[in-house]
Amino acid sequence: MQYDFNEILSTIRMTEIEHFDIRTVTLGISLRDCFDRNVKVASQKVYDKILKYGEKHVRLAQEVELQYGISIANKRVSVTPISIPFDAFNHEQFLQIAETLDRAAAEIGIDYIAGYSALVQKGFTKGEIELIKSIPDALASTKRVCSSVNVASTKAGINMDAINMMADVIKSTAEKTKDRDSIGCAKLVVFANAVEDNPFVAGAFHGVTEPEIVLNVGISGPGVVLDAVKEAGKTNFQNLAEVIKKTIFKITRAGELMGREVAEKHGIDFGIVDISLAPTPAEGDSIADILMAMGIEDVGAPGTTAALAMLNDSVKKAGLMASSAVGGMSGAFIPVSEDMGMIRAVEKGHLSLEKLEAMTAVCSVGLDMIAVPGNTSASTIAGIIADESAIGVINDKTTAVRIIPAFGKSVGDTVDYGGLLGKAPIMPVSTLSSEGFVSRGGRIPAPMRSLTN
Amino acid sequence: MRLSDEEIRRMTLAAIAELGKDAGPDEIKKVVMNSVSKLDMNQTSSMEGDSGRIILTSFGLNKTGVVAAITKIISEIEGDILDLSQKIMQDFFTMIMIVDISESPAGFKDLHDALTAEANRLGIKIYLQHEDIFRRMHRV
Repeated sequence: MQYDFNEILSTIRMTEIEHFDIRTVTLGISLRDCFDRNVKVASQKVYDKILKYGEKHVRLAQEVELQYGISIANKRVSVTPISIPFDAFNHEQFLQIAETLDRAAAEIGIDYIAGYSALVQKGFTKGEIELIKSIPDALASTKRVCSSVNVASTKAGINMDAINMMADVIKSTAEKTKDRDSIGCAKLVVFANAVEDNPFVAGAFHGVTEPEIVLNVGISGPGVVLDAVKEAGKTNFQNLAEVIKKTIFKITRAGELMGREVAEKHGIDFGIVDISLAPTPAEGDSIADILMAMGIEDVGAPGTTAALAMLNDSVKKAGLMASSAVGGMSGAFIPVSEDMGMIRAVEKGHLSLEKLEAMTAVCSVGLDMIAVPGNTSASTIAGIIADESAIGVINDKTTAVRIIPAFGKSVGDTVDYGGLLGKAPIMPVSTLSSEGFVSRGGRIPAPMRSLTN
Repeated sequence: MRLSDEEIRRMTLAAIAELGKDAGPDEIKKVVMNSVSKLDMNQTSSMEGDSGRIILTSFGLNKTGVVAAITKIISEIEGDILDLSQKIMQDFFTMIMIVDISESPAGFKDLHDALTAEANRLGIKIYLQHEDIFRRMHRV
């Protein structure tokens, strides 16, 4: 037979037992041609364009799922950062665009649409300030819209004014969605060095250098890597790296094939495959479990950062070998609420915010889906974002903060969203003040790129 | 393009038979290259996922009539079984088939639905996947 019995069975095992699926196929749509002075006309243009390209998205993805017997967990859409085409709009008008995005997403049958975004690492336009200030209302009044703001980059430095503004936006979003465990904050990402072709919602947007329309795919598969690491048993690191790479290679190849097939069915260009390992709250589909299988007692133990660094590096090496279209974030995600192992580690008190921060220095993406007490001050949140941005800016990598100051909750409580967003125990935050530092405002200058120690 | 050396050799022999013994090596080469390039064009104009070959995997408790039930459905949709391999371990069987449905009037989905219904009836599992997924995952 052309294929070995074991090869075929290993593929079946991946999909049936080890939760291997394609995490997302994301249609990136440019809205740059949708501006009009009249917001009603602009909204109609946005709606029509999303429907024109996105109408068949879910159906085509389902056809590909059936054809290859591998499920695609999410079918989503990202759009041009809304502040760019609609820079002339004000708060109220931006909210109308948000409502339009929500309605279009519902119409084409997707759960999230991302790109209610602004890129302000160097400074703001008037429209960007209006958009940022409208984020809490936009996230509270819509179900499907996701927002992100880039506040820092290695080339521009860290815009502390933007960080302070975002800290207020996060607090306000938490309050405005307090009846649902501050869920608005789960749809809001603050970035440093955001990438333009990221297919993973909530942080996805269709960058300005991207084409009219493109299809990007994000793979998944922590469960597959977990079983491979377990099977490898007690072996040295070179062998372990080899095992991880072989597994990731297969996952990436499958992901790219399926992404290309969906793009082909749409009749559009295929963009990139994002090789990030993305966990889900399903048991066994956890990055934390992989780190434990590598030999640490629990996430948070000394050695955790090294284990994660090695995992992340192996993922990249194998992914790059498997596909010539690797892009997006391409690392390992360590969201707390979406990973059962991470949740357990936080509940047991093994994993602190500080250790998580260290871990983000060696993987994508950052402090992701972290719930903190509702009374955490805006200046403390700004301090956390500034720290995370510094890690990204200095190390020339993407970092992000998706933090939930759960309104009215404190340490010991839990926020629970169900589904892929999962649940997060409230983590304690240092009560030392950052006020004097973050309130200086202005911009932390861009770093030097030599003498890199 | 996925022509093996063996296939090219067979094509060359066929070309020699066709052109007769008098044909010079250059002429034969020209004819063969011509056909290969035509094949190439056909291949690239259709997408990779269109080879029409699918891999059927089934598992379950061994019982009589499983292979017959599956092959009956495949023959009904005019699918062509290219390869079949089966293993029985104690009470369990695993069977893998490569089926070509490119000539079938029914589509992938029809076959999938028919086999899923049959699998439920027999109390076994049947998976149907396009061949490309295995080629991409297991061949560099």
